[in-house]
Amino acid sequence: MIKDILNGIFKDKFAVIALLVLCFIYFCLFFAEFIAPYSMNYTDRELSYVPPSPIFLIDENGKFSRPYTYNYKRTYDADLMQTVFKLDRSKKYYIKFLSRGEEYLYLGFIPMDRHLITVENSGRLYLLGGDINGRDVFSRLLFGGRISMTIGFLALFVLFPIGLLYGGISGYFGGVTDMIMMRFAEAVMSIPSFYLLIILAAILPSNMTSTQRLTLIVVILALIGWAGFARVVRGMVLSIKNQDFVKSAKMAGASDLRIIIKEVLPQTASYVIVAMTLSVPGYILSESGLSFLGLGIQQPDASWGNMLKEAQEYINILYRPWLLTPGFLIFIAVLSFNLIGDTIRDILDPKSRIR
Amino acid sequence: MKQKIYIIFIIIFLIFFLKACIKRDVPEEEKIKQNVVRSETNFTFPSEQKNVTLNGVDYLQSQASIGKFGGELIESTIGEGPKTFNPFTSKDATSSSMSGLMFDSLFTTSPKDGQIVPKLAKSYKTKDGKTYIVNLRHGIKWSDGKPITADDVVFTWNEIILAGLGNTSTRDAVMIDGKLPKVEKIDDYTVKFSIIKPFSPFLRLMASQIAPKHIFEPITKQGAKAFDMFYSTNTPPEKFVTSGAFRLKEYKAAQRVVFERNPNYYIINTENKQLPYLNKLVYLIVGDLNNEILKFEGHEIDVISLRGSNVAPYKLKEANSDYKIYNLGPDTGTMFLAINLNTRKNSDGEYYVNPEKQFWFRDKNFRTAIDYALDRKNMVQNIANGLAKPLFTAESLNSIFLNKNIKGHERNLLKSKELLQKSGFRLNSNKNLYDKFGERVEFDLYTNAGNTEREAIGVMVKQDLEDLGMRVNYKPIEFNTLVNKMTTTFDWDMIIMGLTGSPLEPHDGKNVWHSDGSLHLFNQRTEISKIDNRLPFEKKLDEIFDSAALKTNFSERKKLYDEYQKIIYDEKPIIYLYSPIRIVALRKKFKNIYPSQLSGITYNIEEIYEDNN
Repeated sequence: MIKDILNGIFKDKFAVIALLVLCFIYFCLFFAEFIAPYSMNYTDRELSYVPPSPIFLIDENGKFSRPYTYNYKRTYDADLMQTVFKLDRSKKYYIKFLSRGEEYLYLGFIPMDRHLITVENSGRLYLLGGDINGRDVFSRLLFGGRISMTIGFLALFVLFPIGLLYGGISGYFGGVTDMIMMRFAEAVMSIPSFYLLIILAAILPSNMTSTQRLTLIVVILALIGWAGFARVVRGMVLSIKNQDFVKSAKMAGASDLRIIIKEVLPQTASYVIVAMTLSVPGYILSESGLSFLGLGIQQPDASWGNMLKEAQEYINILYRPWLLTPGFLIFIAVLSFNLIGDTIRDILDPKSRIR
Repeated sequence: MKQKIYIIFIIIFLIFFLKACIKRDVPEEEKIKQNVVRSETNFTFPSEQKNVTLNGVDYLQSQASIGKFGGELIESTIGEGPKTFNPFTSKDATSSSMSGLMFDSLFTTSPKDGQIVPKLAKSYKTKDGKTYIVNLRHGIKWSDGKPITADDVVFTWNEIILAGLGNTSTRDAVMIDGKLPKVEKIDDYTVKFSIIKPFSPFLRLMASQIAPKHIFEPITKQGAKAFDMFYSTNTPPEKFVTSGAFRLKEYKAAQRVVFERNPNYYIINTENKQLPYLNKLVYLIVGDLNNEILKFEGHEIDVISLRGSNVAPYKLKEANSDYKIYNLGPDTGTMFLAINLNTRKNSDGEYYVNPEKQFWFRDKNFRTAIDYALDRKNMVQNIANGLAKPLFTAESLNSIFLNKNIKGHERNLLKSKELLQKSGFRLNSNKNLYDKFGERVEFDLYTNAGNTEREAIGVMVKQDLEDLGMRVNYKPIEFNTLVNKMTTTFDWDMIIMGLTGSPLEPHDGKNVWHSDGSLHLFNQRTEISKIDNRLPFEKKLDEIFDSAALKTNFSERKKLYDEYQKIIYDEKPIIYLYSPIRIVALRKKFKNIYPSQLSGITYNIEEIYEDNN
């Protein structure tokens, strides 16, 4: 089946592009420390809301040159009541590739100091400008993406085992068991999740780091979210359990649990795979939503959601559009996941296979 | 064939892409500053309003220039709008300011220097600071034509305020040693207030608004419940009997409140014509700040308060626009870092604050080191967009009691390190700070999540303190949880918060500084342990607040309050960060605008007029 899916994806141009985009994003996130010119909390307070560093390839004499940039200099215009950034053209900073820069621990334990791109020590290369505290938005995007793009998978590991097993048991046994289990699932479904989250944010112990906190919140979200999934699985199991191979397994004396896990549930695989790919973007969005509301990842940690929060003032959208880049990335990531999910559904859907 | 077209397309795309990447280093042209208007910060005021008697009526004469009658001013209020129009039951700022328009108070504060000047009352006299004789105006009337007399004043005080109806904050504030003031009528236009000992905040409290006795009396007899419902937002406008410059004309919930001119108002201009000039005063009820800004852009409202980064685009357009931007200077808001000095235990016998941390937080050198490590300059520049002033005193920068001798200091990490060393703190080879018992200096820093400004300050404070080798666990948490920590569970180390003070009356800060105060953040006590083991400086503060309230002479009080600011600056239980600057944009067509640091911009609403030329 996996071969079918892969073949199908490679036939669909959009899905291929989406897959490439996702691979690229995850690749960048995996090597974030190396790709990012600065660490997540690197701060230059003189560069609060600095515009992106310009990179010049043709120098002032009109000749080709190695890429270089200038530093921004901050002044405050008291008459205009605003901060003004001007390029300080007195010193060029050539961009260096694979050169030594800030030291870091790659993946938390390999000490390294090479960066993909960097400039000399006194130069500043803020490829996507700075945020309110003068931190590099580009670097923070890479570090923040690690949380935003993995949180969805975490939820899947909680949600799918529970949903599958619960739906399987309920559907397989039927009758009173089914009745009770399904009413319980409905009760779980009717918990208003948003208010639950607000309450949780208030009562969770405050000595958790924001990553632990968000992880817990996502797990709780998943603990509510399995019910809808379990209902669909149960419906499928109801029709599968009357098929001959299940009956023969029963006749052979297999235990109920064995039948459910080995015989019945594998038949729902096509639905499960589709549901999984389609629910990852949902959790990416909910992470950004929660962080946006101040319930998820908090400062100084970065995530796409809380970085986007900074752009919510209309003045920032007008004057500092680079703050919107996390929103753009969320859009790209969610779109890619959805495209792939759609393609897989088309591949696995028996009706569309006949065509 | 098809493939070739694809390839050509891709090549063209790539060429354009590369072209965009190759930037040429051409110096940008100097932008010529288009006639930018400088915002004045030194304000001038017309001479003070005078009492004038004409045909037996005691008018108050405005000395501002003579204007045109007619026109309207549209303001806005963010939120749900007023909850009541009854000045005695209002608890929120919007309700208070709107009922304040309709019911005048006996006295008001001068926008120039904050001194007490007459409004509904003509004058007051006091000999010993214990009895006040208040003279009322002859011949002025309620909007239904009945005269305003001493009966109304006595009724308001004895039957409403002192009887504890509605909002009891005034009653609580005038209680001195458990005794309430006495209010007696001497004749129709004279009232005597007496208190048991001189109490300087009393004068401003005495200035309270006055209710018409003939309207309110039947209601007060029905009890507190009926009173709370009285003059609510459901009351038809024609039922209001008022004394202010404006009276209610229309109230549409969640949309707007319209006030119309009171034709019988007692303030006149120099031509002896009755004010106010404006026919109508409208408040639009808007949901949030962004909505308010859009309404101002769309000319739906005439005045707007701007903050931080919102100012720049307006300032840029000011020269070619129909509004003017006023810089009102630092406002009463203060942003600070509070340190928990609590050494008590909770009911389970556990310390609110870890004993090791208590040792650091109780160390004055440690607190001073923190103060010197904070980079206020960049906080102001980055977070408030330069529109704030560094703050070092407990009184706000526009306070008339500000201790101007406290100059503050620049960031000085060397001094911080020196102080820490003096107290036995040591840096190890990894530049981590340890105390003299070998304990790593690590604590929590809280602020409320969702407030971009405070969150960004927290990030800066964390970095500043980490420069000293401390480890700061910075946690923005939900607002109610934070308040709960501060007021009930006390399990916090440091908090970034903001409070608003009064620029006129430092005694209002008693709940923060007095050791049994309800907001005595840095060493909060429970109800049971009111003033147990006070720190020496807490004792000193208690004494200052208790004695300064009993002084009536301004300079004597100033001396005491200067001392309290000095103590807090020296001891630093609360480290002040900055105070934002208030910027207001108002349409140019309105004249007689005299902005004031203390009172804002439309405080003299009766003198403002619209001139379309």
